[in-house]
Amino acid sequence: MSGRDYLGEFEHIVMLALLRPGDRAYGVTVRQEIEARTGREASIGAVYATLDRLENKGYVKSQLGEPTPERGGRSKRFFRITAKGTSAVNCTHRALRSLIQGLGLAGSRV
Amino acid sequence: MISHASVARPPRVAAWLVDLFVSDGQVESIPGDLLKEFSGLLSKSGVASARRWYWRQSVKTIAYLFATGFRAAPWSIVGAVIVGYLLLGFGLWIPEHGIVAVLHFSRHGVVPYYTWPQMQAHLLWLNSAIMIGQFIEALLVGCIVAMATRSRELVSTLALVLFRGSLGVVGCLMSLVRHWPE
Repeated sequence: MSGRDYLGEFEHIVMLALLRPGDRAYGVTVRQEIEARTGREASIGAVYATLDRLENKGYVKSQLGEPTPERGGRSKRFFRITAKGTSAVNCTHRALRSLIQGLGLAGSRV
Repeated sequence: MISHASVARPPRVAAWLVDLFVSDGQVESIPGDLLKEFSGLLSKSGVASARRWYWRQSVKTIAYLFATGFRAAPWSIVGAVIVGYLLLGFGLWIPEHGIVAVLHFSRHGVVPYYTWPQMQAHLLWLNSAIMIGQFIEALLVGCIVAMATRSRELVSTLALVLFRGSLGVVGCLMSLVRHWPE
């Protein structure tokens, strides 16, 4: 595995938030998932900047849905994680587990 | 009576600013997502809170879009900003010198002597003409910078404004410190 397969902190959070809603994940669900689980108010700009970066790396794929009236006639952009992305999440988790192991931190299971 | 549709609209200026900064690939997703969440918040927390949220999200989103646009082509933007700054610096004297030269010529040709009210009017028009000339020159430089960084026009022109503005603030502070009474 090359060092490039590790995810940055926010990339990691976005990837995990993408995994929950499955194929129906888009900017709003990712942003709300992050806010609900971490208590951190992420901006939609930060979420999309990260998603675009992850797409450029081949970790996620996106496709446009149908335009809807509640979005002012604009389409949703749905994201799904690729096999390469899943592998990057696993690599990052393994690295974190190995770093945390033996530190004796409370609740340190990753 | 205010209709529900007009109340439910997000702040126009914020929406317009976001539209200016989004790239072609994000024109559907980012404004659409902001509007969707705004509508949800509107029914949950009320108009004022939803509008505050929209403004907060818009400002943060624009900052991210600016940073992302800059990181995508840093060298071309830095180059355009430096060229723009030099053009503004060298070009600022052109309107002033041009207008003074024209007035000087016309004074010798047409008006040999100024009374005090004429002098006041002359100075007023001279200052206004110089300011208009400098404004036109700044617009032209902005256009040159925007054309040099096609598809990142807003990022490069905003970077030029920020660069020039921050140099102006530093200059003011240095002048204040130098002339501060002991």
